[in-house]
Amino acid sequence: MSENEIFAKVAAIAAEQTGKDAGEITMDTKFAEDLEADSLDLFQMINDIEDAFDVKIAEIEGIQTIGDAVRFVEAQKQ
Amino acid sequence: MTAPELNASNPVCGLLGIAYPILQGGMANISDASLAAAVSEAGGLGVIAAANAGADYVSEEVRKLRLATDKPFALNVMLLSPNVDEVAALVAELRIPVVVTGAGNPARYADAWKSAGAILIPVVASVAQAKMMERLGADAVVAEGCESGGHIGKLTTMALVPQVADAVKIPVIGAGGVADGRGLAAVFALGAAGAQIGTRFLAALECTVHENYKKALFKAKDIDTVVTGQRVNNACRILKNDLSRRFDALDAANAPAEEYEALGKGAGYAAARLGDVQNGSVFIGQIAGLVKKEQSAEEIIREIILEYNEIVSSRLCINLRGGVKISIST
Repeated sequence: MSENEIFAKVAAIAAEQTGKDAGEITMDTKFAEDLEADSLDLFQMINDIEDAFDVKIAEIEGIQTIGDAVRFVEAQKQ
Repeated sequence: MTAPELNASNPVCGLLGIAYPILQGGMANISDASLAAAVSEAGGLGVIAAANAGADYVSEEVRKLRLATDKPFALNVMLLSPNVDEVAALVAELRIPVVVTGAGNPARYADAWKSAGAILIPVVASVAQAKMMERLGADAVVAEGCESGGHIGKLTTMALVPQVADAVKIPVIGAGGVADGRGLAAVFALGAAGAQIGTRFLAALECTVHENYKKALFKAKDIDTVVTGQRVNNACRILKNDLSRRFDALDAANAPAEEYEALGKGAGYAAARLGDVQNGSVFIGQIAGLVKKEQSAEEIIREIILEYNEIVSSRLCINLRGGVKISIST
């Protein structure tokens, strides 16, 4: 799966949970500041990303941006 | 009540090796060795709250608890504490049997705790969080509704517990608004196999919280708690008082998160230990109006179990996951 494909899926998950427009989400978008996600939103998105890509994200503290999540998934999938 | 019988058919009792499926809430500045030992000795699971304390305080409380009881107990590790690393390391060092975690994700410590043989029970506020904790290897979760005192999530116990119970295979312990046998039966009916109780245990004779705090609790009615800090994603349920009104003023002024943090700093200690229940944070749940008298931890647990048994045997006919009745020795 390419980085673009992973990004598209992660952006869709983030958009659905936060009600933001997926088109405005970039690799630099921050979950907390830009998407106004609280901790419950963040747990939900991480959970959805885990389900979507069949990966396990233990250290969610390291995931601040959409790009962090995409790169994490990419590394797990290799 | 002598040598309570182990209700091994109940998954929470079986997991923890306790007689009654009741966990005492880990309350910062309050849940010390005195309260935790009394609850464990009475057949529940006593919990020492580490809160922001360092390893010295926690080691001393564990030592005191072990002098008072040889029953299982838990350490509540507050993951946002500046001392969390040294407190987390004590779990293996002191062979602490059960760890309850709050305010964050225990992933960093989970492997070390599990290898040390500790049972891990994170407190969760949503289905997604519960599923993540199950994947992480948690042995059970506390699903805590926003009726609770202190730091809270957004869902009520009534909505949270059944959804978490359906989403995970590990035992679920319901929390938030449980103070008597009716509450225990209610969370069982929602799919939990036990309850975590905080506010009611504030009234325990063995609870060393300042007497002003207990008096404020006994005076509190159903409508007397408020949620502060929701605006800055730091929701906390406290007794309505001068401090809560200052938090309201921050809301009205659209103040930044730092101002909320500054106002709350040391406020828990001021109320719980210095007895300043006007300018301090009195963390009590919405069920406070039910709690009117001081009793020993043993009397509290006994009363809850007897009332629960009366409810499930006579008033309701429901198929409870944890067994229809909990035996209690006389």
